[in-house]
Amino acid sequence: MAESEIVDLLAVFSDLEPAADAIEHLRSIGVHDDCMNVISGVPVTEAMLGRPSQWTNVPRIAMGGAILGFCGGVFLTYVAPFLYPYPIQVSSQAFVPGPPTVVVLFELTMLGMLLSTFLGVFLDSFFPNYRPMKYVPEVSDGKIAVLIECSHVEEQKVTDVLKKMGAESVRPSEAQHL
Amino acid sequence: MAYEKKHAEHAPAGHSGHNEEHFREKHLMLDPLPRGQMNEMVMDSMHTTSWKFWVVFGVLSAIVVYGLFYSWGVMIAEGLGVAGVNRPSYWGIFLVNTVFWIGISHAGTFISAILRVFKAEFRRPFTRAAELMTTFGLVQAGFSIFMHMGRVWLSYWLFPYANQRMLWPNLHSPLSWDLLAITTYLLSSTMYLFLPLIPDLAMARDRSNGWRKTFYKVLALGFRGTEGEWTHLRNAMNIFAFAIIPVMFSVHTIVSWDFAAATRPGWNSTIFGPYFVVGALHSGMGAVVMVLAVVRGTMKNMKYFIRPEHFEAIGKLMLIISMAWAYFFFNDYMVQWYGGDKWTKQLLHFHEAGPMGWMWFAMLIFNIAIPWAVLWNARWRSTPWIVFTVGLLINVGMWFERYIIIPISLSINRMPFTWRLYQPGIEIPLGIGTLAFFILLYMAASRLIPLIPVWEVQEGQMAHELKKFGRETVVTVSELE
Repeated sequence: MAESEIVDLLAVFSDLEPAADAIEHLRSIGVHDDCMNVISGVPVTEAMLGRPSQWTNVPRIAMGGAILGFCGGVFLTYVAPFLYPYPIQVSSQAFVPGPPTVVVLFELTMLGMLLSTFLGVFLDSFFPNYRPMKYVPEVSDGKIAVLIECSHVEEQKVTDVLKKMGAESVRPSEAQHL
Repeated sequence: MAYEKKHAEHAPAGHSGHNEEHFREKHLMLDPLPRGQMNEMVMDSMHTTSWKFWVVFGVLSAIVVYGLFYSWGVMIAEGLGVAGVNRPSYWGIFLVNTVFWIGISHAGTFISAILRVFKAEFRRPFTRAAELMTTFGLVQAGFSIFMHMGRVWLSYWLFPYANQRMLWPNLHSPLSWDLLAITTYLLSSTMYLFLPLIPDLAMARDRSNGWRKTFYKVLALGFRGTEGEWTHLRNAMNIFAFAIIPVMFSVHTIVSWDFAAATRPGWNSTIFGPYFVVGALHSGMGAVVMVLAVVRGTMKNMKYFIRPEHFEAIGKLMLIISMAWAYFFFNDYMVQWYGGDKWTKQLLHFHEAGPMGWMWFAMLIFNIAIPWAVLWNARWRSTPWIVFTVGLLINVGMWFERYIIIPISLSINRMPFTWRLYQPGIEIPLGIGTLAFFILLYMAASRLIPLIPVWEVQEGQMAHELKKFGRETVVTVSELE
């Protein structure tokens, strides 16, 4: 199928229920889940919409950051003291004392984890993204938008289903600056 | 259903409707407005500024310029001699303010993270107001530490890297832990403020023009609200909510170790960690309630979002935290008093009967007596100005507590020939400057970013409903996540 034959439709629903029904109907007429995306102003879970679970790398990236932070802590507490040209002994403490090491390891592990969690949102969501995108501002007013990618020949059929299921508007979507 | 219907028929005419109206008036979560209208209200509150706002803003700016920047410049030019710190009180108001501001910063995390983890629904409209306090409070704490350093241009010596002689900062020292803990907390709380703000920035972007549109567009990062974006955001916020709690506890515990790790009378206490954390929450909650009362009283449309039910709920928390603080205070006092060490007894006597004894009694009255006397009453703790006053007194009391722990306790030591009462100098304008800067930052933020997390409020309103059990109408909450 040539790329020009693909159209993006944007249907706006006033509520969650008709949007979920429309998604179910679209699936029944052969629109694959990968060809649909839901845009909402509140977090609507996949279960509410009957959609497959979304994959996220955020927890894995967070774990990676925690490990990196921990390694940074190990370097500062275990390795750095040995880099001194003249080793420094603090009172009767061991050269690499346990309790202060725990403090440094904890703080750097948490710092690594939280920084990478934040970074994970940016990486997974492709933030910042200032390119033109398919969007309707009504979403932030509580509407639910369903973005459907379908072939040109199916456009009318999909539009009819969306309207029948209660879409307030169905229109071809064009990327625009937000 | 038949059971409900049957009982509804027996209910007096109009009773149910009246009851529901009462619930709606009382609970924000049961009084939903269309999302567009709520957005409009929040945007309107940001755009509406009266002349009074600008007068206060101007006065605070002048105080910041004089109190913070000019006075600091004088101290940098003249040296720490212009401050009151001298033998034996080398730690003075700068560190009192550091501990105070770090304490204030605990409220944001407590409200936003702990109440989020426990799904306390009343938190929804004011999580951001509290998170902002955390970030701005930590900025003031950072300023106060830098002031204490004196030679602030050498502050980079604290950072963990080797100097020209291959010497690394000593990470065995609680002061190095402070740097790590406060930096971690400042970065984490700023990120935790920003993540839930993204959807509201996108909302503001969709409703703005001109420079504001550009400002929100840049900060909203291109957020649209797709399923993927919400999933990543939700996951990240859950990780933050759980992970930032131990970070919050660690920060004030480590601050307490700055004192407790020394073998000084009055400081060398194993209970200082939790005592400091509870004290931080005590002052932080007091500050949150003050901010909420001011926001509700001065910003347009805020009476819809911030209601007496919120003051009532925070008032209960304040009462519980006040009791916990009293418990830790007495525990710390009791053990030191019973120990019978000569110098410790001398210090305790100095606290109560010395020239600053009034401060010790004021601390107990403000932190314990007044909260207990007022907050037990549901009507009083639902009244914004009453809770504001209690919050203000708690903050004064907690500042006194830190003053007693630091410079007053340092006035007495094991060498009587060095005893001297601390007399602050330039610390006073500098301290007032940080307070003014905190308020100024908050005022500026209140006109630039949505103080109410509208999407969180709407999510909460979707989850709440009234349900009838027999003749009784009760509030039920569904778990949407």
